[in-house]
Amino acid sequence: MTERKIPVDLILAKMAAEAEKVQHRLEKAKDILLGPLSTDIATTPHEVVYQEDRVRLKYYRPLKEPRLKTPLLLVYALINRETMLDLQPDRSVIQNLLKEGIEVYLIDWGYPTRKDRYLTLDDHVNGYLDTIVDFLREKHHLAKINLMGVSLGGTLAVMYAALHPEKVNNLVTTATPTHFDTDKGLLHIWMQEIDVDRMIDTFGNLPGELLNVGFLLLNPARLVFDKYVGFLENMDDQEFIENFIRMEKWIFDCPDIPGETFRQLVKDCYQQNLLIRHKLELGGKRVDLKKITMPLLNIYGRYDHLVPPEACKPLTRKVGSKDTEDICLDSGHIGILLGAKCQRELVPRIAGWLKDRDKQDKGPKAAAKPKKK
Amino acid sequence: MEQDQQNLPSPEPLLAAWIKWTMDFWEALAQMGPSRAGTSVTSAASPRGVKRAPEDFSLLALRMWEAFFSLLSEPRTIDAVFKGIKAPSGITLKMAQTGWEGYFHLHRQWLAGGQEDEAFGFEDLDKDTFKIWAEIYERDFKQLLNLPLLGLRRFPQEKISQGMARFGQYQAAMAEFMYLLYLPLKESLRVMQEKLAKISRKTGLSEDFKEYYKMWLKILEGRYMTLFKSPEYRRTLSYTLDALADFTMAKQELLADSLKALSLPSLQEMDELYREIYLLKKRVKDLEKKLAKPGPAPGYLPKGQVDD
Repeated sequence: MTERKIPVDLILAKMAAEAEKVQHRLEKAKDILLGPLSTDIATTPHEVVYQEDRVRLKYYRPLKEPRLKTPLLLVYALINRETMLDLQPDRSVIQNLLKEGIEVYLIDWGYPTRKDRYLTLDDHVNGYLDTIVDFLREKHHLAKINLMGVSLGGTLAVMYAALHPEKVNNLVTTATPTHFDTDKGLLHIWMQEIDVDRMIDTFGNLPGELLNVGFLLLNPARLVFDKYVGFLENMDDQEFIENFIRMEKWIFDCPDIPGETFRQLVKDCYQQNLLIRHKLELGGKRVDLKKITMPLLNIYGRYDHLVPPEACKPLTRKVGSKDTEDICLDSGHIGILLGAKCQRELVPRIAGWLKDRDKQDKGPKAAAKPKKK
Repeated sequence: MEQDQQNLPSPEPLLAAWIKWTMDFWEALAQMGPSRAGTSVTSAASPRGVKRAPEDFSLLALRMWEAFFSLLSEPRTIDAVFKGIKAPSGITLKMAQTGWEGYFHLHRQWLAGGQEDEAFGFEDLDKDTFKIWAEIYERDFKQLLNLPLLGLRRFPQEKISQGMARFGQYQAAMAEFMYLLYLPLKESLRVMQEKLAKISRKTGLSEDFKEYYKMWLKILEGRYMTLFKSPEYRRTLSYTLDALADFTMAKQELLADSLKALSLPSLQEMDELYREIYLLKKRVKDLEKKLAKPGPAPGYLPKGQVDD
């Protein structure tokens, strides 16, 4: 076989042209990076209507008269922050829900400190979450509210819906792991090996910095190399830079996770897979998924390596509800809610699904007096 | 007093005996070398065609260690140790030189190994360097750190020794972990080189180097995925996290002593306090639930008192 010649002259010419472009790009980038940049996240106007310890409840008022009588409570994960749902003005799940005429409440779990290390899953589900739901039921004079959980926040929402089905009208889960015994996601594989007792006994809480490194390790090729190559290639585009910085702000803003909560999550969920087997116990009560009888919309990403479809899919088969729907999107974990297509199509679909089921068992006024705390 | 000292047995024979014993030990271990090296050669002839450095790292390290001890066993070295007042600079220099030569030899071998055209597979990791270091550390350095301590300051001194031991373990674990993370990078570049050679033979190289970047990225991504799912990685990750936890714990214990000296509460004491507060709050909340009266929920913020 004769060896072909390498077009060195062409490659060099191309590299020279590229070098010229890079120089031009750098000049423009200098002006952009040194100039004013709009990189704030979570800018949609809201008010904090409830606060208990570090946990706050944000209220977002719809731009027009609410089209749903039942408000939607968003439960974000304890990993990373809820600001992801309002990352940039043109890619905000919150704003899209408001445009659909839905009143939105969002739980901000805050930044746990060392004193929060003893908080358990029970304290989050039957404590903070239950108090917030009761607060909303009282505020809106409703017996039930709509609940939407994101990622591990969805897992908390599922636990809550199973323990307090009388307070949840509809349940939406997005990228929510409930079946943990799978080797498809790296997180699921790694969690099997870690000595969580030793970690929590040492650190108190699981340090957010450790999680930040852990998430980079999920895909170093993309998150350590390619992402920044993309940055260099687009650094003359102000909008790109602004959005890139917004994402950087969010992705490395991972609060610590309360130690006992993490210990239970790893042992009971990731290592023993108790939730999907109806064997998990919170505060001495068994979490029986069969008690989830309200409508359930279960959304997950086909290419989600963090929470793979295998971890999400079984939920609809395990609950007691007859009104269930699975939506599998062509996206990864973050893309489910941040991807352009998802922003365009998914939020209206969720809103439509909620509208179709926006009825309370009793008239809103009849249910005005839920049991108070 | 002086007489007492004179009556004490001379430490020189003891040191000589110890050095001889250690020498014998390393020699015996080094003699086991060929079989270990043999294993390496066998693997070189494995169906995967893995080529290894002709000399196993472990052997090199053993020889290096042996060299140190053979030098130590020389009578003039022992003399020098005990007549240290006269600063045996020549011997010290020679010892340092031996050490550095050994180190550079090891380093050269490593570099040479890196240039080899090895087949890839995380199950075939050549991590003897880390194993050898861990063995040397465990058998020699760690023993020194675990020496029983005496006297008034034994407790703080023990904590310092523990801290140093844990730090050593953590460094070793971290080095192995970082080495694992580096492997896919190295391997992806090798595969890329092969691919480029193939493309060059078949169709000729494209002048668009971005194509190659994308190609390399895909290979790298694939290699990392293979690594991250391998038992080797999971074991190393778990070991590294444990070592980090142990080191952190040792640091905290050291810090606790300093805080005590300053009359400040330690983390452990604060944790006890946090636990009490947590249990008290929980109890209060339960009681509140039982005594619930109509009215705003406990965390209700009236308008105008919101903090955003």
